[in-house]
Amino acid sequence: MGDIFTNLGLGFGVVFQFVQWTPAFLGGISIPIPVNILLCLIGALVGTLVGVLPGIGTIATVAMLLPITFGLPPVGALIMLAGIYYGAQYGGSTTSILVNIPGEAGSVVTALDGFQMAKRGRAGPALAIAAIGSFFAGCVATVLIALLGAPLTRIALAFGPAEYFSLMVLGLIFAVVLAKGSVLKAIAMIVLGLLLSMVGSDIETGASRMAFNIPELADGLGFATLAMGLFGFAEIIRNLDAGGETDRKLVQEKVSGLMPTRRDLKETTPAILRGTVLGSILGILPGGGAVIASFAAYTLEKKVAKDPSKFGHGEIRGVAAPESANNAAAQTSFIPLLTLGIPPNAVMALMVGAMTIHGIVPGPQVMQKQPDLVWGMIASMWVGNLMLLIINLPLVGIWVRLLRVPYRLMFPSIVVFCCIGIYSVNNAPTDVMIAGAFGLVGYWLIKHDFEPAPLLLGMVLGPLMEENLRRALLISRGDWSVFLTRPLSAVLMAIAAALLILAVLPSLRKKRDEVFVESEN
Amino acid sequence: MNWYGRSLASGFLAVLAGLGFSSQVQAQTYPTRNITMIVPFAAGGPTDVIARIVTGHMAQTLGQTIIIENVVGAGGTTATTRAARAANDGYTLITGHMGTHAASVPLYPKLAYHPQKDFEPVGLLAGTPILILARKDFAPKDLKEFIAYVKANESKVNAAHAGVGSVSNVSCELLNSVLGVKPIGVPFNGTGPAMNALVAGQVDYMCDQIVNAVPQINGGTIKAYAVATPERNPSLPNVPTTAEAGLPAFQAQAWNAIFAPKGTPPDVVAKLNRAIVKALDDENVRKRLLELGSVIPPAADRTPAALGTLVKSEIAKWTPVVKPVN
Amino acid sequence: MNATPGHAPVKSIMPNWVRNPQEFVGGIALMAIAVFALWASSDLQGMRGFSFGAGTAPRMFGFLLLGLGALITVVGVVTEGPHLAKYHWRGPFFVTIAILTFAFTIRPMGMIFAAMAAFLIAACGSPETRWKETLIVAVCLTTFCSLLFPYALGLPLQLLPTFLIR
Repeated sequence: MGDIFTNLGLGFGVVFQFVQWTPAFLGGISIPIPVNILLCLIGALVGTLVGVLPGIGTIATVAMLLPITFGLPPVGALIMLAGIYYGAQYGGSTTSILVNIPGEAGSVVTALDGFQMAKRGRAGPALAIAAIGSFFAGCVATVLIALLGAPLTRIALAFGPAEYFSLMVLGLIFAVVLAKGSVLKAIAMIVLGLLLSMVGSDIETGASRMAFNIPELADGLGFATLAMGLFGFAEIIRNLDAGGETDRKLVQEKVSGLMPTRRDLKETTPAILRGTVLGSILGILPGGGAVIASFAAYTLEKKVAKDPSKFGHGEIRGVAAPESANNAAAQTSFIPLLTLGIPPNAVMALMVGAMTIHGIVPGPQVMQKQPDLVWGMIASMWVGNLMLLIINLPLVGIWVRLLRVPYRLMFPSIVVFCCIGIYSVNNAPTDVMIAGAFGLVGYWLIKHDFEPAPLLLGMVLGPLMEENLRRALLISRGDWSVFLTRPLSAVLMAIAAALLILAVLPSLRKKRDEVFVESEN
Repeated sequence: MNWYGRSLASGFLAVLAGLGFSSQVQAQTYPTRNITMIVPFAAGGPTDVIARIVTGHMAQTLGQTIIIENVVGAGGTTATTRAARAANDGYTLITGHMGTHAASVPLYPKLAYHPQKDFEPVGLLAGTPILILARKDFAPKDLKEFIAYVKANESKVNAAHAGVGSVSNVSCELLNSVLGVKPIGVPFNGTGPAMNALVAGQVDYMCDQIVNAVPQINGGTIKAYAVATPERNPSLPNVPTTAEAGLPAFQAQAWNAIFAPKGTPPDVVAKLNRAIVKALDDENVRKRLLELGSVIPPAADRTPAALGTLVKSEIAKWTPVVKPVN
Repeated sequence: MNATPGHAPVKSIMPNWVRNPQEFVGGIALMAIAVFALWASSDLQGMRGFSFGAGTAPRMFGFLLLGLGALITVVGVVTEGPHLAKYHWRGPFFVTIAILTFAFTIRPMGMIFAAMAAFLIAACGSPETRWKETLIVAVCLTTFCSLLFPYALGLPLQLLPTFLIR
């Protein structure tokens, strides 16, 4: 325990470091400047501002802003980058809630109920509860990293291909549960997402699959491209159908209160707690754990709720739980990087890049060799979260006011931002066209009452599932029983099976009731 | 587009803009505006880091900003195709590597460019040695035992790699062909996940660039049998070379170099090359490259002609080893 | 997303035995996508001994989608449901054209032109557009983007047309 306090003390010492600034115009008077705090603040601000642009998600924001940190000293650069990361995450939730455009897989879930809340004039409470939930989750996860970083790493290492495959299967079941309409259609959408995820090169042979010799498809369809099309463009097109403007006017008139009510807070407290726990655990697993954290949290809330039918129609717990889980996972996903030096996801790989640029290649000894860096970063996570809360609560008012911009001016702006965002991820015009095409697909899906969220989840989990299945089978030499003989994997499979039964049973019962009602008529 | 057509097109555009520089005049004043450096991999990867370190110094010499444009996709070939088709005026360059400018030739039969026909070599930046790595509890203690073990247990061992066409993949193919074995190759998405699997002991061995591996070896989470270069690396003084350990036939280095589109004026290439050479002699640049475990090329290997020869010999080296994808 | 397309029902072109045209057509379309995917992956290698080939998973999910599509189609025949929703051409048309214009002009013409053009074309998608304010907003937005992306964020985005730079 004592160690932890020394270490955290070291960390906060690094964060609150003052540098004496002696500008010539003050005639030799030096001013102490908290450089790292300032960098963290700038990072959080810039990250929020870029992440909030529709069309630019977390990974894109971090990748885009990475080079601006190259000129800084290593600790400062990493602290700023961590700020950018949280800022971008938070900015992504903002676009999900306000305009239904998720920037990354995690915020797809936030969009489900967040956007519905915004439509009912409750954008303010949705944004505020997202900020509060994120802050709470961030605090808990920071302490968790400091206390249990090293032992938790062992869990991460126990996860091999077989375990990941089972985890992904579980993730897909979550997608079925979070659907609000027909289970059959949700499953069909997941399978469609899985099929779309197969586009690109095959991981084992490198063979090009369903890419039709289009170079931009060689690496598959990007998540951002698809999400922007299916959510962003499709939503715009749908709103342009007759009545878009009047719908919007109604929304603007309905805006009631910027902050959550006491009842909201009371309702969301257990949801935030559950989300934090789930997110913290799943975030540790490199390679996809963090992706399904928010889905898992949403599913859990829907299952424990007394009235699950409210979910998908602006239920505040449907925003609080996944947002907390998302942020907790974002924090704990640093654990493998800090204890093993191995980046668990794309954002962390960029962080390693930033370290490498400064001549620090993280490894299992990074904690002993660069304690100021590691603990400085851990402390800066907490500071970054606090700053985001401070930055974002006042911003809620501004964002909500943005909704008052007439839709006839808002929608072309969103189109332009989305185009620039998609283009700048990879400087590829083809990506923009693909997003446009999926906008039309999304419009069609809406017209046929298919939900795009399960499709996106299938798309994200598809490659992880297929690759880990194939790895597991390669290592076991074709023995399928590994998924049931390895204990961790077997437990995950059992949970998945139980959840599937729970999801399918009520709908079967409902079908029977419907038939019954019909025959009575 | 052939050379003639391309210069015709760029000439046309120049006239259109009312500037009308001939390439001769251009070269004397070159560069007059920002230069774009395409990096075919993500920001923060080994190639990107080397490119940023060297171009940072080059920009000072040339007196113009060098903008790094990271374009990822298809093992770097998407970006390289774009660079091959860019204007050959010296304002678009690419930092290629062993994969994009050598191994891609046998790997992708439908490749839209050819490293020799579509590019002017400008200069070699740095090499990153390849290591033979294994999980820490893998039975063989040194390279000799490793060779014997893999040959005896060919059907049981698993070799990890970072995806088809990656440096770790093609260099492992070379190792396997030198050993005459065909173990099961377990593919991962990038070096990070592959290294994770090796640390966790889920796979037996892999070949990888020195950058990612040094801290893991020093931390004792994995072990290294040999480095596939003629000399030991200063960052791993205790790891023998393949020649010392008994496998001289396995030599591999992931090199990074700057290329310009074919037809870039020779004096522009010469000017760029001088800037590279100057950067590689800079103390700070050298220090940072060495920290990464990179090998800085000796003076004789830094000319455009030497890079041209290297590309030719590398294509010849990888062609029999690398299996084409379809 | 609120997905109940409950606007005025179109006159049904469906035969009477299709009681839920929305599901019926949706199911058939999914089956078509599945067949297309199966065709597109037909050249890929299947199982190789115990290990998956490149084509194994696409085929697996292709057939699964085919089955699910068929099930949804059957549901469309046996259950009562909403009519096909009405499609509008104006919004989708102009938004798509705007996106394509952006994609085709961003490289040769630079961001100022592409953003401006995309904004104005997209604005045609709504009958409520008032041109004076639209032009003002378009200019402001383009200026904002031109300052934000290349300068404030240092992205390699080209602002002006290529022929002006050379």
